[in-house]
Amino acid sequence: MNVAHKIKSLVSDQRFVLSLLTVALFIFFGLKNSAFFNADFVIYPLIRDAATLSVIGLAQLCALSIGHLNLAVGRMAAVSALAAGAAYQYLHVSLLLGLFMGLFVGASLGALTGWIIVKSQVNAFIVTLAMDFALLGFVTYIYVTFTGATTAFTTKPAGMEFWRNTSWHQYCVAGVCGPKIFPMMLVPAIIAIAVIGFIFSKTRLGRELLSTGSNLRAAKLSGIPVDRRVITAHLMSGLLAGLAGIMLAFTNGSFTAAIGSQFMLPSFLGPVLGGTLLAGGSVAVLGTFIGTLLTLIIRQGLSVQGIGLETLNIALGLVLLTALSLGQIQKMFTAIRMRGRT
Amino acid sequence: MSAELLVESVSKAFPGVQALDKVNLALHGGTVHALLGENGAGKSTLIKIITGVYRADAGNLKTNGEERFFDSPIEATHAGIAVVHQERNLIAEFSVEENITLHNPPLRLGIIDRTERTRLANEALTTLGFEIDLNERIKNLSVAQMQLVEIAKALVTKAQIILLDEPTASITAGETVKLFEVISRLKSQGTAILFVSHKLEEVYEICDTVTVLRDGVSVLESKPLANYKQSEIVDLMVGRHLADRKVVIRKVDRQVNAVLELKNLKTSLGHESVSLSLYPGEVLGMYGLVGAGRSELARSILGLHEITGGEILLGGKSVKIKSFRDALHVHRIGYVTENRKEEGLFLDFSVRKNVSVTILSKILQKLGIIHVGKEDVVASKYVDRLGIKVVDNDQLAGTLSGGNQQKVSVSKWLAAETKILIIDEPTVGVDVRTKASFHELITELADEGLSIILISSDLAEIIAISDRILVMRDYELVGEVENTKDYPSISRSIMSSIHSGS
Repeated sequence: MNVAHKIKSLVSDQRFVLSLLTVALFIFFGLKNSAFFNADFVIYPLIRDAATLSVIGLAQLCALSIGHLNLAVGRMAAVSALAAGAAYQYLHVSLLLGLFMGLFVGASLGALTGWIIVKSQVNAFIVTLAMDFALLGFVTYIYVTFTGATTAFTTKPAGMEFWRNTSWHQYCVAGVCGPKIFPMMLVPAIIAIAVIGFIFSKTRLGRELLSTGSNLRAAKLSGIPVDRRVITAHLMSGLLAGLAGIMLAFTNGSFTAAIGSQFMLPSFLGPVLGGTLLAGGSVAVLGTFIGTLLTLIIRQGLSVQGIGLETLNIALGLVLLTALSLGQIQKMFTAIRMRGRT
Repeated sequence: MSAELLVESVSKAFPGVQALDKVNLALHGGTVHALLGENGAGKSTLIKIITGVYRADAGNLKTNGEERFFDSPIEATHAGIAVVHQERNLIAEFSVEENITLHNPPLRLGIIDRTERTRLANEALTTLGFEIDLNERIKNLSVAQMQLVEIAKALVTKAQIILLDEPTASITAGETVKLFEVISRLKSQGTAILFVSHKLEEVYEICDTVTVLRDGVSVLESKPLANYKQSEIVDLMVGRHLADRKVVIRKVDRQVNAVLELKNLKTSLGHESVSLSLYPGEVLGMYGLVGAGRSELARSILGLHEITGGEILLGGKSVKIKSFRDALHVHRIGYVTENRKEEGLFLDFSVRKNVSVTILSKILQKLGIIHVGKEDVVASKYVDRLGIKVVDNDQLAGTLSGGNQQKVSVSKWLAAETKILIIDEPTVGVDVRTKASFHELITELADEGLSIILISSDLAEIIAISDRILVMRDYELVGEVENTKDYPSISRSIMSSIHSGS
């Protein structure tokens, strides 16, 4: 193998560039202020947030894979968390059963959304926006009705404390323990990344989803069941949104109406920074995690420097714009090169 | 003085390829100048340099005596150059009228004068003898209608120099005749016209002078066309002698059961009663004017539009085809679309993925995992079989030339082992050599037992490869011709069935 060629293809890989940027910024912030390297108060929560936000990123990625958007990811997360919380509070189910019930609700909501899009032929943007509003009302109504002023389900199923507060260093194999900075919450995120990555890169389902996103008409004419795939994509989106919602509820220690209200923007940042096309047809699953991590490092890093929230958001916006423009500039060069062939 | 455009020693390189190498071309008012060459010879690049889309690396451009290159297409338009591009540059969401007057909308007090706009658009369309609702949106038009709008758009600018890049690629013979009348009229008014086409018959009909490009070099520069025979021009284009293809009359057994039979088929799109039979191994040509309802019939058979009456029989059995998916997996019917970029290909997918899209269920391992090894074998098989020029199977379909893209879009149906293939306008915008290889391929496939319906508006193509020709007009079959491949007599009988009674 040609080494120069290998290096070239590595450098042109968005994930590689993104990882490099992430590591560089991490070191930069740490050198500026060593408080940033604090394992307990900075790194551990940062990775825990990255785990949850990566999952919501994957939820968005599933919709993006077919060229759709899911503006209701946050609210689907809220409803799933509500379902799980209610199950723990009133049905006293086990942690795992409550989780499955929550995920089932999320998946059903997603599938319903997909079905409405297919049947009504209305743009996914509109349908999910409407869904978001409807669910917002629903969630608030349920919490107020059932819990009165507290507006939260606070019953903690057995094992919840373990998931929210422990890290991998409590697990040792043959004397070697896991790193202290890796929270247990990373486990569901890793599973989600592995499963979704596997689906999109290896399976027929993934190929059919991406075909649908790449060119809907060509997919239809090639005998791909595009309507069913639209529903599948939204089902997956709802399921993952549900998972993220429950992960956040576990992290917070309570199930509230506010869960998911901060999800929408991050849900786009991760996948898009990672290299997922907004137009559909191409996804970056691992990139979603790296992209999410990057945004959190910038946010956390700047806030450790004592920069105010407003400045912080401006900085974040600029970094995003730059990172995304780089991809666009690269695309322009490719286009110019391709034109030479006509 | 009359219009004049001189291209002098123009060169242009793209990374890895010398697209144009010291090309000369002299275009004078009152003449129609043919610019010929295979795909990739540099014709489109030259046109883009003339119109300011690309910057030349070296050379001169003289327009009406003024020596300069244009920095943008708008400058070229203002200098009196109009161009009809091969890729249609229309705005899908705008109306026909808005598109025709796009570059120079008539203004009154800075506001678009709608009455004047309608008049201008109407005038251009009337000149072309083309009837269409001025308020219809472009996205609702057929490919041919879009092409005509594009031509009308060039006409309204009243340009002195008009560049036509394959204007007849997707319009029918009747419309071509009208276009040629317009071209003749413009010529007599002193307009200079550059005409790019792959259809040599047309070139000989309308052009006075000729320039031939091969691999970016002008191998024949602004010579009188009458001095060259068609075969000589082809030799110049391809750089070697292309033997005339033998005329083969294939024998198709029509005593057996038809593989596909339509009985008084009525569709929601307007076919009242269409009946036809397709026999095993037959190439059934379907000729017609634009809007005659041929593609619409094909799409209705395949379940995209509702069948409201009559019957579809496959191998003698009456069937209901619900969708393209149903047609492919249950009934083994494939459809090669006329819009390969919009409907035929996944441009940002590799060739491998494009070929395998119809056979995913056959290359699975456990857990629904795609067996990439098997997928690659299938892709390689058709890449070899059809002679698709690729670096490897991972090359993106969007980076292939038009002819190769078309082959990829055919491959997926061959891979799916369909029994019936409906091929819609397969060689639009494809060069002479690729076209010939495509025709050979279609004949070969039929020889292997595939039954083919060939929809084409290219009379020469229909006559070259069909066994039998059906003629459709206004959603109705109006003629059937047994193809003896004798061009003059067959074209005459096809044309007479198109025009009889109208």
